Amino acid sequence: MSASTPALTPRQVTRRRRADAVRRSWASFRSHRSGLFGLALLTFFLLVALLAPLLADGEGLEVTKATGGVLESPGSGGYVLGTDENGRSIVTLLIWGSRISLFVGLLATVISMVIGTLVGLMSGFFEGWPARILYRVTEWFLVIPFIPLAIVLATVLGRSLINIVIVIGITGWASTAMLIRSQTLSIKERPYVERARVLGAGRWHQMSRHVLPNVMPMVFANTTLTVALAILAETTLSFLGLGDPTRVSWGSMLEDAFDVGAMTTGAWWYIVPPGVCVVLVVLAFTLVGQALEEIFNPRLRGR
Amino acid sequence: MLLAGALAALAAVLAAPLTPSPAHAADPVRLTVGITNEVDSFNPFLGIEAESYEMWALTYDYMITYSMEDMSPEPGLATSWETSEDGLTWTFDIREGVLWSDGQPLTARDIAYTYNRILDGGPESSSWGSYLTSVTKIEAPDDTHVVLTLEKPNAVLPLLPIPIVPEHIWKDITEKEVKSYAAEPTDGQPVVGSGPFRLVEGTAGGSTYRFEKNPDYWQGTSHLDEVVFQVYKSDDPMVQALIKGEIDFADDITPLQVKALEGEDGITALNGDSPGFDEIGFNTGAIDTETGEPIGDGNPALADPKFRHALGYALDLDQIISKVYQGAGLPGDTIIPPAYSTWKWDPPEDEAFSFDLDKAGSLLDDAGYTEGSDGKRTMPDGSPIGTLRLFARSENKKSVDTMDYFKEWLGELGIDAELTTMESNKLTNIILDGEFDAFHWGWYVEPDPDSMLSYMTCDQRGGWSDSWYCNPEYDDLYAQQNGATDDAERQEAVQRMQEILFEDSPYLVTAYNTIGEAYRSDRFACFQPQPDPGGILLFQYGVHNYLNIRPADDAGDCDGNESAQGPEAAGGGAGDDDDGSSTPLLVGGAVLLGAVVLGGGAWAMRRRSTAAYRE
Amino acid sequence: MTDLAAQGADAAHTPATVGRRRSYGRYVLGKVLGSAGSLAFVLVLGFFLFRVLPGDPARTLGRGRFRTEAQLEEFRATYGLDQPLPQQFLTYLKNTFSGDLGVSLRYRVPVSDLILDRLWPTLLLVGIATLLATVIGVYLGVISAWNRGKATDKVTTGTTLTLYSMPEWWLGLLLIAAFAVGMGPLPGIFPTGGLHSVDAEPGTIGYVGDTALHLVLPVLTLVLVYLADFSLIMRSSLLDEIGEDYLTTARAKGLRDVVVRRRHAVRNALLPTTTLIALSIGFVVSGAITVETVFSIPGLGLLATEALTIPDYWVLQGTFLVTSAGVILANLLANLVYGLLDPRVRS
Repeated sequence: MSASTPALTPRQVTRRRRADAVRRSWASFRSHRSGLFGLALLTFFLLVALLAPLLADGEGLEVTKATGGVLESPGSGGYVLGTDENGRSIVTLLIWGSRISLFVGLLATVISMVIGTLVGLMSGFFEGWPARILYRVTEWFLVIPFIPLAIVLATVLGRSLINIVIVIGITGWASTAMLIRSQTLSIKERPYVERARVLGAGRWHQMSRHVLPNVMPMVFANTTLTVALAILAETTLSFLGLGDPTRVSWGSMLEDAFDVGAMTTGAWWYIVPPGVCVVLVVLAFTLVGQALEEIFNPRLRGR
Repeated sequence: MLLAGALAALAAVLAAPLTPSPAHAADPVRLTVGITNEVDSFNPFLGIEAESYEMWALTYDYMITYSMEDMSPEPGLATSWETSEDGLTWTFDIREGVLWSDGQPLTARDIAYTYNRILDGGPESSSWGSYLTSVTKIEAPDDTHVVLTLEKPNAVLPLLPIPIVPEHIWKDITEKEVKSYAAEPTDGQPVVGSGPFRLVEGTAGGSTYRFEKNPDYWQGTSHLDEVVFQVYKSDDPMVQALIKGEIDFADDITPLQVKALEGEDGITALNGDSPGFDEIGFNTGAIDTETGEPIGDGNPALADPKFRHALGYALDLDQIISKVYQGAGLPGDTIIPPAYSTWKWDPPEDEAFSFDLDKAGSLLDDAGYTEGSDGKRTMPDGSPIGTLRLFARSENKKSVDTMDYFKEWLGELGIDAELTTMESNKLTNIILDGEFDAFHWGWYVEPDPDSMLSYMTCDQRGGWSDSWYCNPEYDDLYAQQNGATDDAERQEAVQRMQEILFEDSPYLVTAYNTIGEAYRSDRFACFQPQPDPGGILLFQYGVHNYLNIRPADDAGDCDGNESAQGPEAAGGGAGDDDDGSSTPLLVGGAVLLGAVVLGGGAWAMRRRSTAAYRE
Repeated sequence: MTDLAAQGADAAHTPATVGRRRSYGRYVLGKVLGSAGSLAFVLVLGFFLFRVLPGDPARTLGRGRFRTEAQLEEFRATYGLDQPLPQQFLTYLKNTFSGDLGVSLRYRVPVSDLILDRLWPTLLLVGIATLLATVIGVYLGVISAWNRGKATDKVTTGTTLTLYSMPEWWLGLLLIAAFAVGMGPLPGIFPTGGLHSVDAEPGTIGYVGDTALHLVLPVLTLVLVYLADFSLIMRSSLLDEIGEDYLTTARAKGLRDVVVRRRHAVRNALLPTTTLIALSIGFVVSGAITVETVFSIPGLGLLATEALTIPDYWVLQGTFLVTSAGVILANLLANLVYGLLDPRVRS
């Protein structure tokens, strides 16, 4: 039955070609052990975040319903990693905190990806003063210290989860834009794009059918790297007291721990585990991102 | 981490021989105080931070100071005073023989000069003018008398906590110059003052301020040669510096740090009563102060005193104190803290707020706010109350947590509420626009209750009143106490005012706060708390302790000062076996950190050979 | 930052479009004009950005002190806050051009004095940290590139990446716990915070040593966290160079490995790193804010952060202007050097 391959429609060809590409990428990803390690770590944390309601009772986050004593050490009273200053279980906080940290990291990245890709594509694809202005703005955002800008924005917008996402999103797009721009510049010169241009393809067609699909893999690789930075940014903003104080994230846990003097009180279980979680997740995203970058950017292959 | 260790060791080797060792001959007795906020100005007409007040108190003298026991007025530069029968003339006798640090005599003329500068307007007036309310003329007929003439009696007198500056220096500083005059040491010359210490090093906004003692202070010289203030930007490193002995005193630390420090040898830590309170304030009805028209969108239920008062029984203050304040605080009731026992009114036993949701519910029922079919309370006319908008200050954890509890208790009463947190600056705007239902904030209360009482008057709406409270009866009493010439009469009015506030409940006072302080009791002794007992040790009203404190090995019986904490208080911890050290943190941290680093390295290593030679 | 590394490498190797190569003079002019444009933008933004902040300085600074509306008004009038915004903007422009950054609302001292006081701790911290991170990072990058795939490479890359994943202030806290407070056998040799001891006499050798001792932990924190930025880019650009033809030629000629490394590859690979150093200054300045908090170093970052709560407009404008100008100038400098060294980028 399937011995002979019937003629394929162009769409099927495309689909098959894409499927092949994905399969090839996966095969090549599997050879990156550090990437795989990162992916495993990531899967673990994503699962924890998704399954949080099953792993720990959400009521454990409510200060008013806390049952434990103040800063109980690990093991005592059935708390594996002890309690915080309100008597809440650190494990519960870590599990639910992963949701906020990952949510902020991912959503902020989506925002910076969208802005970064658009700006990068446009400043790379178009010519003349609009492109030059876009380039200047990008360069400026790249150069200006991130924290002060983020602090000002966070202060103006006020403290809520979504505002933190916005702040991180709109301060972190510049490096993506730069990357996309340089990719666009080189793709634009490729023969097939030129051919399309000669054949009269409109700008929109060129951009959406030729440039964008070619840039997408790099965007994807860059995304994972940006998530890492966004999660770090969330932690830092929380530490500076600009997080949403009504929600528990790893950053807010660290800030609370620092505020109540966890170092003096010897409550290492309050300040070390959230930090380690941040390090692991950031490391995981970075490793995956680097592996993807190597796969999608042929110039980097073999490093 | 290897790298870290190597670098650290290298730096230590390099730096160690260079580290200056304290002078060997006749070590000066130096008290180093860790603080968490910078001095904003050494110019007493400009600064506003508590730290700055302490610096002025060390540098300058006051005509009247505060007592240690209850912060009542005590003689300072003025040895005695008398009022005319009608309360319109005050005459102060000024101490003789007091010298400025440059050798010039300090006389009544310096005092009159300082006060007149304030009376003349400008920045001086915006800082201190309120103490000279209704004063029309200040004169120094001779070197030992100051006479104040008033247009109407002012009950706040003789309280005049205004630092006296030397006329021979300040007469050259114009009103225009004063707004940026630093009053800091110039060319190595200390600031001219008459106080127990003089500033020899430091600038506003700097991180170290060094004071040397005044060798011939009129109250007797200090037992300390130097006082140094060191600014830390966060609590925990400051506490660690105290444990290590880099500083001798740590101000404004958390209750948990106090608890941990109680176990440390050679350190005494305590939560001292701070004269102030935290409250939940309500929008009792915001208006445009010019037109009198209502503004904002406050919930009408909160305009009803009965509704507000009922909520007072829906607050479990004991739980708030134990959980939110970590036990370091007292449940609150009125806007005058217990430290000011002369002025405080206590609600009678059977009326005082207690956590009693049934009582709160029945009071609400009586006032017409009954539960509807959905279990939610409604307005007396049957319309829904809606959701109350609670606000907390995001930078203050106590604020957020208190409102979190309040929200849940409201829920149990059948009233919906939502909590928003924001920066205090932003909250100020929202309060001024009347676009809130309730907020959490706090006030420091001065030894004289007048200013705190004034914030609740109708006139202050749009000014410092954050509850938009207005009650003519209260205002009448305010004016009455402000002009009272008789202490007992004033006291009665002040207490009646608190009773009115308790009934009308524009504020539900949640807690009387404390301030955590700790010092090296193996090095210094003879700290006396203010208020005594139960108060704080430094950053008090007045500079008593800078004169009381002695080196621990030379403390004796603290000159017979019984309430001062003698050397035997050293190591006074509760004796629990928790050594409070950070070793567990360190070990835990190091283990995990090491694991992470090694894990990362090991994983990376396992990548070996796969992608190796793929050029 | 890692993508910065990738981008730096890209910038150096985007195939130079063959064509007219601009002269260095025109290149310089273009870059200088661009920087001037950025500065102008910063100047305008600096004013309006902070005016959007919620809060009224008179109320923040007057809480519990000013009792009447008249006192609040007096304060506003004293500091020109009662004037309409366009008027304030003009005053700001005029003053800035005459070198006057205004008077701090909180400290009542000229902002330029405040900034000068706070500038050198930050410069010291950021400068030493950047220098060390660059030198060590480049060295590590060279080592791992040359030993690509071997244990040395894996350990180096793994460690720097892990350090890079840490919030710098968290690492700082752990370092305080370990090396300032003391842990187990480790004595607490370093101070917990501040920039110098109380009893250090300014101007002596002891003072310098004392300051150095205080700087060890904060600098170490920044260096450890930002090491990866430099080692990764150095590693990848060196790997690029290794693939280039001339290197194969050099090898074929029989030059010793070390010589090859020094003479050719490393020198060329350093080029993209210069751009990155300039770019990363902004990031290190950011990191410095939290490190300053943890180690209580009275730097510029803290000055600005605290000014936000008031908001102390003139301090905010001043610090914003000074840091932005610093970063822009550093970039300009890097670009000029880069253009001088690598004519390819001029096109």
